[in-house]
Amino acid sequence: MMTETSEFNFEQCIKCTVCTVYCPVAAVNPLYPGPKQAGPDGERLRLKRPEFFDESLKWCLNCKRCEVACPSNVRIGDIIQAARIKHSKKKPGLREYILANTDFMGTMASPLAPIVNMAVGLKPVKVVMDKTIGIDHRRMFPKYAFGTFESWLKRNRKKQAKFPRQVSYFHGCYVNYNNPQLGKDFVKIMNALGIGVQLLEKEKCCGVALISNGLIDQAKRQGEVNISSIRRSVVENKIPVLGTSSTCTFTLRDEYPHLLGIENKDVRDGIELATRYIYRLLSSGEVRLRFKKNAPKLRVAYHTACHMEKLGWAYYSTELLRMIPSVELIQLDSQCCGIGGTYGFKKENYATSQAVGEGLFRKIEASGCDVVSTDCETCKWQIEMSTSKEVIHPLSILANALE
Amino acid sequence: MKFDTVIIGGGLAGLTCGIRLAKAGQRCAIVSSGQSALHFSSGSLDLLNALPDGSVVTNPMEGVKLLAEQAPEHPYVKIGAERFAVLATEAAELLSEAGVATMGEALKNHYRLTPMGVLKSTWLTFKGYVTSDKADALPWKSVALFNAEGFLDFYTQFLSDEMRKMGTECKVHTFNLPALENIRQNPTEMRSANIARIFDNEDTLSELAAIISREMGDAEAVLLPAVLGVDCRDGVAKLEKRLARKVAVVATLPPSVPGLQVQTLLRRYFQELGGVYLLGDTATGYKSEGDNVTALYTNNHGDIALKADNYVLATGSYFSQGLVASNGEVVEPLFGVDVAYDKVRSNWYERDMFSAQPYESFGVVTNAELQAIRGGRKVDNLYAVGAGLAGFNAVKQGCGAGVSMLTAMSVADKILSKR
Amino acid sequence: MTKQFDVIIIGGGATGAGVARDCSLRGIKALLLERGDIATGATGRNHGLLHSGARYAVTDRESAEECIKENMILRRIASHCVEETDGLFISLPEDGLEFQAKFIESCRAAGIRADAIDPKEALLLEPSANPAMIGAVRVPDGAVDPFRLTMANLLDAKAHGAEVLTYHEVLDFIREQERIVGVKVVDRRTGEQKEFRAHVTVNAGGIWGHEIAKKAGVTVKMLPAKGALLIFGHRVNNVVINRCRKPADADILVPGDTICLIGTTSSKVPFEECDNMYVTADEVDLLLREGMKLAPSLEHTRILRAYAGVRPLVASDDDPSGRSVSRGIVVLDHATRDGLEGFITITGGKLMTYRLMGEWTTDLICKKLNISKKCTTAEQKLPGSREEEKKISRRMHTIPVAQRESAINRHGELAEKVNVEDAEHRSLVCECEEVSVGEVKYALNELDVHNLVDLRRRTRVGMGTCQGELCACRAAGLMAQVGKYCTHQAKQDLTNFLNERWKGMAPVAWGDTLRESEFTMWLYDGVCGLKNDKNTK
Repeated sequence: MMTETSEFNFEQCIKCTVCTVYCPVAAVNPLYPGPKQAGPDGERLRLKRPEFFDESLKWCLNCKRCEVACPSNVRIGDIIQAARIKHSKKKPGLREYILANTDFMGTMASPLAPIVNMAVGLKPVKVVMDKTIGIDHRRMFPKYAFGTFESWLKRNRKKQAKFPRQVSYFHGCYVNYNNPQLGKDFVKIMNALGIGVQLLEKEKCCGVALISNGLIDQAKRQGEVNISSIRRSVVENKIPVLGTSSTCTFTLRDEYPHLLGIENKDVRDGIELATRYIYRLLSSGEVRLRFKKNAPKLRVAYHTACHMEKLGWAYYSTELLRMIPSVELIQLDSQCCGIGGTYGFKKENYATSQAVGEGLFRKIEASGCDVVSTDCETCKWQIEMSTSKEVIHPLSILANALE
Repeated sequence: MKFDTVIIGGGLAGLTCGIRLAKAGQRCAIVSSGQSALHFSSGSLDLLNALPDGSVVTNPMEGVKLLAEQAPEHPYVKIGAERFAVLATEAAELLSEAGVATMGEALKNHYRLTPMGVLKSTWLTFKGYVTSDKADALPWKSVALFNAEGFLDFYTQFLSDEMRKMGTECKVHTFNLPALENIRQNPTEMRSANIARIFDNEDTLSELAAIISREMGDAEAVLLPAVLGVDCRDGVAKLEKRLARKVAVVATLPPSVPGLQVQTLLRRYFQELGGVYLLGDTATGYKSEGDNVTALYTNNHGDIALKADNYVLATGSYFSQGLVASNGEVVEPLFGVDVAYDKVRSNWYERDMFSAQPYESFGVVTNAELQAIRGGRKVDNLYAVGAGLAGFNAVKQGCGAGVSMLTAMSVADKILSKR
Repeated sequence: MTKQFDVIIIGGGATGAGVARDCSLRGIKALLLERGDIATGATGRNHGLLHSGARYAVTDRESAEECIKENMILRRIASHCVEETDGLFISLPEDGLEFQAKFIESCRAAGIRADAIDPKEALLLEPSANPAMIGAVRVPDGAVDPFRLTMANLLDAKAHGAEVLTYHEVLDFIREQERIVGVKVVDRRTGEQKEFRAHVTVNAGGIWGHEIAKKAGVTVKMLPAKGALLIFGHRVNNVVINRCRKPADADILVPGDTICLIGTTSSKVPFEECDNMYVTADEVDLLLREGMKLAPSLEHTRILRAYAGVRPLVASDDDPSGRSVSRGIVVLDHATRDGLEGFITITGGKLMTYRLMGEWTTDLICKKLNISKKCTTAEQKLPGSREEEKKISRRMHTIPVAQRESAINRHGELAEKVNVEDAEHRSLVCECEEVSVGEVKYALNELDVHNLVDLRRRTRVGMGTCQGELCACRAAGLMAQVGKYCTHQAKQDLTNFLNERWKGMAPVAWGDTLRESEFTMWLYDGVCGLKNDKNTK
C-alpha cells in the first residue's frame, strides 16, 4: 500500500472525479485543465516526458480543496505546484517580484505608511500599475501600518520576559507591516493566560507568495532561515512557535517539506496556530479566560480559509469564538473566496478570482452578520473589498471580549 | 476534544449514524478522509433487490426474512426482520428531515431508469428522477430526451433504444447554451457537476426551458440528464412549472449531482444538529484500555485526541480504504479488527466481472450487536456499520444503501440505550 | 464471384503485416486475413522491447546480429513506434561479474555497442535501477509499440493496393490437385462465408499457424510457450533494465509509452489454452519478486494488469520429438518440403525481425511469381514516421499540450488527420491517455476498428490508470453514434471490453487496483445496471 508521503502518491488516484467537483477554478475558468488532469493524470504523462507539462497549470490557485475532497489521499495540489516548480519555463517578472516580496515591500512602505497607503489608493497609480506590470486596477491594496509589530514587541521585551511560560510568535509580514494590532491582541490574550510572547531569533517572510510566483530559490533561502530559528526555539529552548495566519502556519508545516524540500520533521509539531494552542490550554482546565459582562451582542460569520480547511483546524477557532458569551456564531459553508494570496491581484486572474468568490460573498451578505471572521489575511482583503462587511481575526474578537 | 460519539467515515453510514445520535442530543464528531462514495450515487437507494441465491426480491420486508437461512452473517440478519421494518421506515423519514425528498417504500420495490436505459429495482428514489412501477415499462407512451451538446457522460442512444423496446417512443434532442460554450472550451471539465452549476442561475434555466418548449412537441414527458443545478435542488420542479409537462432526470456517470447534493444536505443537517464534521482528515491511531477504545488520533489533530464514550467505524470498503487488500491479506487498517476473507488470493475473484465477486462480501466481523471483534474478543465501545461489514454483496443483492443506513441507525440506537 | 489476388496472407500480426507491406511495395496484389483484430497474438503480447540483440549475444549469435540490424532499421523507418531509450544490463551481487565479460565480448562480436559503465553512472542514467548492482553495461535497447508498428505496416500496404480484412477466419483451403489456390473464410462479425483466390497463400498465423498448416494438410510442429508479464501504472524507468546473466524469468523491465512492464515467465501450455490465457497468482508473485530486483521501487508501484502471450516456437524439421527448437526465422516452402504448391509458412523469429521475415517471405513469393523487384522496406519510412515530431507539433500548436503530444506519439504526422477543430472534438474520451473525441472518430473511420478492444489497440483508450472506468462508456457511446453498431451490440461490446480489462486486473487486484476495480464494478453493474448476456452464472 502506498503511503501519503510516497513519491508516487499520484498513483492512488482511482479517477473518481471528486476533486473536479470541488475545484473552484475549473468551475469558472475553462482555461484551467482542472485538478485531475493537472495533477495525477498529468503527472503520469510528465513522467513519460517532461514536455507534457502545460503552462496552464498556473491557473491553479493552490487552495488544496482538491486534496481535502480526495477520498484517496492524493496530494493533488502539491503535485500541481511541484510540477510548476520543476517544469515551468515562465520566468517571474517585476510584478511577481513586487507581489511576492511582502517582506521587502513592507520594510520599504512601513515608514512611509500614510503616503504609500494614499498613493496605492489613487486611481492614476492603480491604472499605471495595471498597465505597466499587470496588477489589476480594481484591486484594493492592504493598508500599511505606521511602525512595525516587531519594533513594538521589542519595546515590550522586558515585560514579556517576566512571564514564566513563553511562546515564540511567527507574526508574518501582515501582522508586522499591515496589522500590528492583531499581534498586540494575540499578546494580550497570551498574557491573560499567563504566557509571555517572544520573537523568533530571526523571522523572514514564510515565502508562500514567493512559491506561487516562481521565486523558488529565494523561498528556499528564507525557509531555511525560518526553520533554523524555529528549531532553536522548539528543539533547543523547548518553546513552541505560534502563528496567527493560517497560510503562514500551513506553509511552515507542510509546503516547506512538500514543495521546497526543507526538512522540518523535528519541529513540525512545534509549529501551530495560536487558536489551537489556546484551545488546548483552555480545555486542559489549567487556565481560564474572563470575559466582559454585558458586552453588546455580535453576530460573527466564520469563513474557513482554504489553508485552514486543509489544516483542518477551523474547529479550534470556532470553538474559541463560541466560548465568547457575546458572540453569536454563524459557520459559513467552507468555500474559497477566490483571492489565493497574490493570485487575485494579477490582472489576468481578476475575473476568475471574483467569480470564484461570488457565491461566498452572496452568502455573507445574506447571513445578516455584523462582522466576518477568518484566520487568513488575504481572505480578509478579498471579503472586505467584495462585500459590505468588516473582517476581523478570531483572536482580535477574543481579545476585545476579554475583561 | 471530547464528544459522546466519534464516527470515522463521513459517507451515508457515518452521516446517518451521526444524525440519529445528534438528534437524540449527543455531541458527535465525524472524521472523513475525503468525500464519500455518495458522489457516485445512481439517484436511488437500494434496500434489498435479490437474495444471495439470485432470486428476485420485490418486497424487502418479506425478503429479509429469507436471509437468515441463506446468509446468516448478513448485517440485516443481525438487525433482525422486525427492527429492519421499523428502521427502513425511519430511514426515509431521516432523509426527509435532512431535506432529501424521496419516493418509494420498503414494502414494495419500484424501478429506476439507469443511464444505460435499464429498469433496475430499488427502494427510494430522489424526487425528480425517472421511476416506474413496472419492471418492463415506463409510465409514458412518448418522451422527449434532451442532452447537452458534447456531454460525453450521458448517452442518449442507449436510453432511447431501450425505451423504444419498452414501448415508449423517444425522440432525442440536444441543447446548447452560451454558458455551455464556456465549459466546452475545456477538454475535460464538461462534467455533470460543472454543467449543473450553470443552472443554479435561474436565467440559464429559463433559456433551457425555452429551447425545450420549442422542441418537445407533444411528448408526454421530458427527460434530461441529472444536471439541473447543484445548489438549486428544484430544477425539475421549476422546469415542470414552466413547461407544464412532466419532467424527470436520469443519473449520469460520475460525478453524480444527486449524490453530491445528498451528501451536502446530510452533512449540513448533521452540523445544524451540532455535529462536528472534520473533512479531509484521516484517523491514524487510537488508544485503548481493556476492551474499550479511549482516544482516537488523526492526521490533522496530532496530539489533540478525539475522545468519546463510543466509536463507530463507518469507513466503507476498499474504495474508501476502510478495507485494505495487499497481495496476501485483507485488513481493517485503523483498529486492526478482525476481517473475514478467503486466505487464498485466487479465490477472491470471479473471472466474469459481472458475477458476484467474492471480495465484495469480505469485511469487518462483528457480533450480533454490531460490535467489532479484535483477536476474537469484542471491543465494547467500537461498532462497525456500512459497506465495510462482512457478509453481503451490495451490488448483487442491491442492498448497499440499506445496509449503510440501517446498520448505522441500529448502532445509534444501541449507543443511546447504553446510557 | 470469387475475388482474385496474387497473394493471400493469413495472420494480422507484425509478420503478416510485414509480408503484406513488402508485397504491396513490390507491386504484388495482396489480401491479408485476420480472424480477430490485428496484433492480437504474440505481436501484441510481449515486452515491446526494441532488442539490441544483446540478450541473445552469448547464446545465439545469429539472432543477435539480426536484432541489431533490424533495430537500426526500425529506428529509421518506424520512428513514431520506437523510443530510443537505451538499455542497461545490470549485474547484481548474486550474479557475479563473470558473465559480464563474456557478454560484452559477444555483443561486440555481433556488432552491438556494449559499454561497461560504473554502477554510479548507471544509477545517474537510470535512478530506478537497483543500487545494489555491481556492474552495468549500456546497450542500444529501446521500446517499440507493436500495435502502432503493425498498423503502420498495414496502412502502407493498403496505400499500395493491399486489402485487409479483420475478423475473417479461414475455414478451409481451396485446392486444385497439389496446389493451394485460395481460401474459404467466414466473416465472424456477420457469419457470411466467402472465397478468395490467389497464386500463393502465406501462413503467418503465429502459434495458430500450427492449425492453419493442418487445414492445408501439412504439418508444422509448434510448441506453445506461455510468457506472462506485468504492467505497472507509470514509467518507473526510462531506460530498459535487463539482468546481465543467462536469460531467465522476469529479467527485463521495459518502459513503454506511459507505463513500464516486467516479463516474462516461461511455461509450456496446451494448444487449447492459447486462445484464452490467464495469468496465475504464482506467475504474478514471481514477476514481482524478480522485478523488484531490477528496480526496487516496483514494490510500491501500482500494478495495472497482468497478461500473457504465446511464443510460437517451432520444432526443428529434423527433430520430430519437438525437443529441439529453432529460435530463428523459419520460412517453409511447402512445395519443396511437402510437395504442396502455392503455400508458404513463415514462423519463428521475433517481433524485432518481423520486417526481415516479410522480406524473406516476399522474396520467395517473388520467385514463385517470377517477379524480380527488390525489397525496399528497409529504406522506405512507414506512414507516421515520415516527419519529425517537433515539426508536426509546431503545426498543431493550438491544441492543448498533452493532447497534442499524445496524438503525435501515437500517429506521427497522421495525427494531423485527427479533426480537433472545434471544442467538442477536443473533448477527452480517455483522460488517462489523452484520447480526444476527434482521435476516436479518426480511428473508427480509418483504422479498421470494429469494437472497443480494437479501439484500445489503435488509440490507448482504456490503457491508462483507470483501465476503462471513465472512458469505456464514452467510447461505446461514440461508436454507436458513428453507426459502428446498434445499442444492443454497444452494450455487449462494453461488457466485453470491461471484462477484457478485468481479466488483466484480477490477477493483480489488490491495493489501489482493487479499489479501481470495485469502483468500476459499482458504476457499471450497480449504477448503470449493465449485464453480461453471456454470463451463465
